[in-house]
Amino acid sequence: MVRFKHRYLLCEVVSDDPRCRLSLEDRVLGGLVRDTIARVHGTFGAAACSIGFAVRYLNAYTGIVLLRCRKEFYRLVWSALPFITYLENRGHHYPCFLNTLHVGGTIRTCQKFLIQYNRRQLLILLQNCTDEGEREAIQKSVTRSCLLEESSAGEELSDSGGEEAAEAME
Amino acid sequence: MSNAKERKHAKKMRNQPTNVTLSSGFVADSGVKYHNGGRKPFQSQKEPHSGTSRQRQTKMSHHSLAESDAKEQSSSRVTFKKKGGWKAGPEGTSQEIPKYITASTFAQARAAEISAMLKAVAQKSSNSLVFQTLPRHMRRRAMSHNVKRLPRRLQEIAQKEAEKAVHQKKEHSKNKCHKARRCHINRMLEFNRRQKKNKWLETHIWHAKRFHMVKRWGYCLGERPTVKSHRACYRAMTSRCLLQDLSYYCCLELKGKEEEILKALSPMCSIDTGLTFAAVHCLSGKHQGSLMLYRANKYPREMLGPVTFIWKAERTPGDTSESRHLWIWLHPSLKQDILEEIKAVCQCVEPTKSTVCLPDPLLTPSQEKSRTDLPTEKIGKKRKWKDDEENAKPIKKVIGDGTRDPLQPYSWISPTTGIVISDLTMEMNRFRLIGPLSHSILTEALKAASVHTEGEDTEKTPHCWWIEACRNPDSVSLHHRQETIFELLGGITSPAEIPAGTILGLTVGDPRINLPQKRSKVLPNPEKCQDNEKVRQLLLEGVPVECSHSFLWNQDICKSVTENKIPDQIYRGARVGGLKETVVHSQYKRSPNVPGDFPDCPAGILFAEEQAKNLLEKYKRRPPAKRPNYVKLGTLAPFCCPWEQLTRDWESRVQAQDESSAASSPGGEESSLRRDVVPCAPMPGRTRQLSDDEGTPLNDSSEPKGVMDTDGPARPGTEGVVGQGATGSLLCVLRSRKLLRQLSAWCGPSSGNSRAAPRAPGTGQQELRREACLSILDRFPKALVWVRLSLLRKGSPEPHTMICVPAEEDLLQLSQDRLYCGPQEPKHSDPFKSQIRKQKEKKKLEKRQKRGCAASEGLAEGDPAAGQQPLTLGLWSGPLPVVTSHCSRVLLGFVTQGDFSMAVGCGEALGFVSLTGLLDMLSSQPGVERGLVLLRPPASLQYRFARIVIEV
Repeated sequence: MVRFKHRYLLCEVVSDDPRCRLSLEDRVLGGLVRDTIARVHGTFGAAACSIGFAVRYLNAYTGIVLLRCRKEFYRLVWSALPFITYLENRGHHYPCFLNTLHVGGTIRTCQKFLIQYNRRQLLILLQNCTDEGEREAIQKSVTRSCLLEESSAGEELSDSGGEEAAEAME
Repeated sequence: MSNAKERKHAKKMRNQPTNVTLSSGFVADSGVKYHNGGRKPFQSQKEPHSGTSRQRQTKMSHHSLAESDAKEQSSSRVTFKKKGGWKAGPEGTSQEIPKYITASTFAQARAAEISAMLKAVAQKSSNSLVFQTLPRHMRRRAMSHNVKRLPRRLQEIAQKEAEKAVHQKKEHSKNKCHKARRCHINRMLEFNRRQKKNKWLETHIWHAKRFHMVKRWGYCLGERPTVKSHRACYRAMTSRCLLQDLSYYCCLELKGKEEEILKALSPMCSIDTGLTFAAVHCLSGKHQGSLMLYRANKYPREMLGPVTFIWKAERTPGDTSESRHLWIWLHPSLKQDILEEIKAVCQCVEPTKSTVCLPDPLLTPSQEKSRTDLPTEKIGKKRKWKDDEENAKPIKKVIGDGTRDPLQPYSWISPTTGIVISDLTMEMNRFRLIGPLSHSILTEALKAASVHTEGEDTEKTPHCWWIEACRNPDSVSLHHRQETIFELLGGITSPAEIPAGTILGLTVGDPRINLPQKRSKVLPNPEKCQDNEKVRQLLLEGVPVECSHSFLWNQDICKSVTENKIPDQIYRGARVGGLKETVVHSQYKRSPNVPGDFPDCPAGILFAEEQAKNLLEKYKRRPPAKRPNYVKLGTLAPFCCPWEQLTRDWESRVQAQDESSAASSPGGEESSLRRDVVPCAPMPGRTRQLSDDEGTPLNDSSEPKGVMDTDGPARPGTEGVVGQGATGSLLCVLRSRKLLRQLSAWCGPSSGNSRAAPRAPGTGQQELRREACLSILDRFPKALVWVRLSLLRKGSPEPHTMICVPAEEDLLQLSQDRLYCGPQEPKHSDPFKSQIRKQKEKKKLEKRQKRGCAASEGLAEGDPAAGQQPLTLGLWSGPLPVVTSHCSRVLLGFVTQGDFSMAVGCGEALGFVSLTGLLDMLSSQPGVERGLVLLRPPASLQYRFARIVIEV
């Protein structure tokens, strides 16, 4: 079909400093990645990657970041990501690094992967947990997510039907 | 625009998870808001559900995790709220930085993310249907129809979608089942309901399946066939047979003493325009006549329209005391005016009691109403027959036409003269057959009714009147005579061999009985074409008077009618045409088309207005760059013809020329009498020569004055009054046959003196001279002349094409170079463009202001609408300047119909020119090139040469 093809890089921001998570914003992160590309690949790389580059999703709690770039030059972006060593915000430097989890052609595939990944992580967390109270909490969220998954199909559908009707009314 | 785009984007993104950041409050917060700005309203609709669940979750964690950090709790809660689209989060508390992260919150965050992602993944993002999102190899036939054809995981969604669609469709479904709807009574009810506003012809259903229908004049009429058939219809017209349903024509019946009727109607017509109601061959009932009706004593102004008429044949010729019937056929658009006028001249004011109680068409669909039916066939060039059909059919009752409401009287009687006028609209059907094969088709399709004998059982036929008639030996013999004549018709190769307007009465059997099995083409039967005595006699004398008598005419009530006539003739190879074909036919006949080509009658004016409105609408629908800029092309009125202004301008123009020439020439008062009328003051040498040319024949022909004098008294006595009284008010169309004949003689090229001189006395024609022109102009100021224009070389004219006077150099160039196609109009400048631009800027400014302060919206809205109507780019706005001299060539008139004529093989046009202008042009042109004009279509700069011919 006639469209611009993209690549989505699903990454994880790993940092020891909790303040790093505080300053994790899409604008800051986007600027950081851009700077890094310019540093690593020069002006050509910066220009090639600047087209269509965007931070599509960001979760400061889990540190999940979804980056978008054009399909032609996603390797440049990808190869530049390991060179990010710190997050700069308002003059503060927080050491961190980016861990690329998945590269997908659509947001949808990335989201699907993210669901699997999160579920795996939750289980790992559950296994490694030692504290009794925390263990209980984690167990709860795990069951919740599983329940959500089961009920999601029907629930979401009814939801969507209602929404569409509402939109049609408009 | 951008708003719609935004909304579309928002709709697409409504299920996508939003960013979750820890920081809220100061700068970063606004940034996030900015990014998500478009989605906010949508999220606020649905998020509460998930948001509350999340809050519940956090609350739970509150209870369960008593030891967890309060700060972190608060911060986490805030962010979750943010995600849910809530802006109520206390910003002050959120600024604190979480010192460390616990596993439980981390797990919660993960779970929340999972749910968000699930939501995004499970929902289809686009607004297409489910089966459309499937990859191509998984698609199956009729998926939208049958849910089971979809993969099972999608069936549920598809079901919902299908239900939604079904629900929408159900809203406007019929409340009856198909079978009930198709049952006869209900169908008739439905049909009657649908023709409340615009009446249907009896052949409506047949036509509606095959034609583009238009609602016009209170009827639903077929405009043109849906198949491509322009050329086919032309071929049918010239070599086979074209059938038209003219049942929408209105018929008025006048009943009374012959002389009374004639006396009453005589002021409405003038012998100047041709034969009147009193024409001998029409009066006997043998022929159909046609004439122009005017308002009583108003000739030549206040035209009402053209009509055709038929006198009912008299039983005993010479008996003047007998009550006669006169049927006047007219176009529905002219009916109101003419009916009023006839009522006025006949002093018919009292409505007679309607003989039939008018049933409500809605309530009594099955009630039968007897109708007289006289399908009239008009063949070829106005050849005309009349057949009476006797096939009976129960008919849904539709009385009268759409222009009349059922409670209105349709019959009036005059107490003084005893004339009864009744409106027989829609009571009779009328068909017209055009083409050489029409006779063959008629004789094939119709068979004369068999005469009833006493022995047959009479109960089962509904035609008791026919049985009655058959008991009378006189009428039986008459029927046999008619039958033999009808048989003879089959042997006539062309309808043109029979005198125009002949009427033949005939009673025929139901044509449906002998319908052929297969559609076939009728070929003229060579066996029938014997040139025997009888045929010759028929050709010479026409149909005998007695034979035009029909049995039906004296039946007050008789069972009727046609319906399946058309298929019946179609089966014999006739082609059916619509309104467009009527126009084309009249164009080939070179006769004006009703009502478009009668600019002086009210219906014509109305028609022109409507046409202009439609064309303007059509023009405005196109983008400015894709439509002609008529201002730049120098076309002042591309959609209507400003006849009034044209004639007025020509009048003032000629006056100005007269004055200037009078001033320039030494003998001012003499110049009007002398031959040199030539108005071109800057070319004295040429005028002198011209006057010399024409000077000699002037002296030879001595009688022109006499002709004019004898012409005068022949006209109705009120002429003088009309000439003076009505000047300056209304325009009129020149229809005096004598003058038209004279004009047409002048229009032809006279090839020099030698030929012109002997012709003038021989034919009794006047030479084109000053006095003659003046006397004509005196009688018909502001007159238009109906002309035909045939192009010399290239070019195909279209309606509203301008007819212009060629300049001297054009004619010179044409005489030097025969292939010269014509001059070019220089491009005009568009003075309105800057105005339009200014207006646009103003509007933009207002819009900007409006955006600034919404309060003043109402004021700003009202202003431009009230101030001036918006200018349209490419059209002249405001009052037109002098139309004649707007372009480089002087405007003479406009074309009303024009096309490439397949009969002649070049472009041909019909139109009107100003009489003043025409005479002026003719007198200034030299003999050889006389009658040459230039044509320029509204959307072109190229002039083309054409020759003027005046049809008498």
